[in-house]
Amino acid sequence: MPLDARIHEVPDNLLAAIDYCYEKGWTDGLPVVPPTLERVHATLAYEGRPPETVIAIHPATALELSLHGAAVNAVMAGCLPEYFPVLVAAFEAMNKPDFNFHGSTASTGGSAPLLIVSGAYADDIGMNGDVNLFGPGNRANATIGRAVRLILRNVFQMVPGISDKSTQGHPGKYSFCIAERMRGNPWPLLCEAQGYPKGVSSVTVFAAGGFCNVENHGGNTPEQVLSSIADAMANYGCITLGQSVVILAPEHMRIVADAGWSREETQAYLFVHAKRSVEGMKGVGKYRASEYEKQHGADAHQLVETGYVHRGLAPEDILITLGGGEAGGHSCFIPSWSRGRGSIMQHKPIGVCIDCK
Amino acid sequence: MQLYDPTTSGPQRELFRAPSLTCLDGKTIGILENGKLNATQMLRELARLFEERHGCKVRAVYSKSNASAPAPAQILMKAAEEVDFLITGLGD
Amino acid sequence: MLCTEPFEVTARNIARVLGLPSYPFLRVQHPIGSCTLSQLKARAQAAYEQAVPILLQA
Repeated sequence: MPLDARIHEVPDNLLAAIDYCYEKGWTDGLPVVPPTLERVHATLAYEGRPPETVIAIHPATALELSLHGAAVNAVMAGCLPEYFPVLVAAFEAMNKPDFNFHGSTASTGGSAPLLIVSGAYADDIGMNGDVNLFGPGNRANATIGRAVRLILRNVFQMVPGISDKSTQGHPGKYSFCIAERMRGNPWPLLCEAQGYPKGVSSVTVFAAGGFCNVENHGGNTPEQVLSSIADAMANYGCITLGQSVVILAPEHMRIVADAGWSREETQAYLFVHAKRSVEGMKGVGKYRASEYEKQHGADAHQLVETGYVHRGLAPEDILITLGGGEAGGHSCFIPSWSRGRGSIMQHKPIGVCIDCK
Repeated sequence: MQLYDPTTSGPQRELFRAPSLTCLDGKTIGILENGKLNATQMLRELARLFEERHGCKVRAVYSKSNASAPAPAQILMKAAEEVDFLITGLGD
Repeated sequence: MLCTEPFEVTARNIARVLGLPSYPFLRVQHPIGSCTLSQLKARAQAAYEQAVPILLQA
């Protein structure tokens, strides 16, 4: 236990303890699991480092997240101890400067960190990559995502209305955590594509805006399916230089994969087609010459088309993988909160240190 | 029962403002813009009033490459050396 | 330091966390991004009137 860990004495009554947590302002509006010493210690047992180890620092306030603080909030969220390595890896990824920890949690743009867990660890802890992927019902998905939110509130003081100035917010600000679907995935898993050794799982963190369902039950070619997704990506409310996450439903993935399309070909198609004309962008007041120059300048990707603003700077800005239930032509697109390059998605291995000094 | 506190108090800090100016006449101004829409124009309009009414002069315009990250320390140190006061903005 | 009205609570919170709870801000009407030039000039005048005593205050 860290030397400065504070302890509250509360009546030995569970409901009273839940009420106490409410009164202290520690919750997201829903009841929390009271963070007893025993449960926090059991959670910390899944980490080999001392509990006072700092795993993330807020760049604007210098507030620090220790393993102890993360464990307390993980218990409150309802996490089992074995979920803890995912949460730790997620915050270590968010701590990387290019993620932009402050902006992605404070902005009016209302982003929430989306966690995508890839690899066998997701199965080991019973995560869901299947039906109702972004919905309720799975303890690991729900509570790991919720722990992220409680840490942002309780440790980093990103309190709605005070430091968190989201105009609308979105439901992912309660919990936003999924597993990449492995069953039936024709492409390399994200953890493999990210270069981790065989057997190592990863968590990817993405400063995500709101979720957009993309329905297409009639399309039966990759071009038809992907064009509807590209259209969602290019909607005037979303189109920016920011990154994207696209989760292909199994029905749509079968169409794409049966035609032999790789992840890279799919990313390239989406990048080429997720675009708006300069005139269109000017018509809605969203054209910025500096952004056009950034996309079309000396470092322009070869697929960029003159006279158009594409979503992102390159096909690699589109993370795309498989997720969701067997039935339903419903894929989804999630835009980056960042309208420019203010936040770049990051990833870390779970439970291992690949590049420790 | 005993519960751990989930919050953090953070390091105890006390900062101090720079000494006030004795007068505004002829002072040099820096502008630190955050890249948001109309940020530079807004700050320039404010600086213009100091130029017109007090003979101040805008000496430098500094830019944050990232609106939602703190300004790099080297920019702030440069500004402290180069200008008498800095005009900047927060948020949208 | 100029901020628009909705961000005043944010500004005060950051100032408190950083150890300068009484830091004086210039408050102007929101928004800025969609303002015309004349609207920006009006906001600049309002900010100027607040800024002068702050700059000269001991």
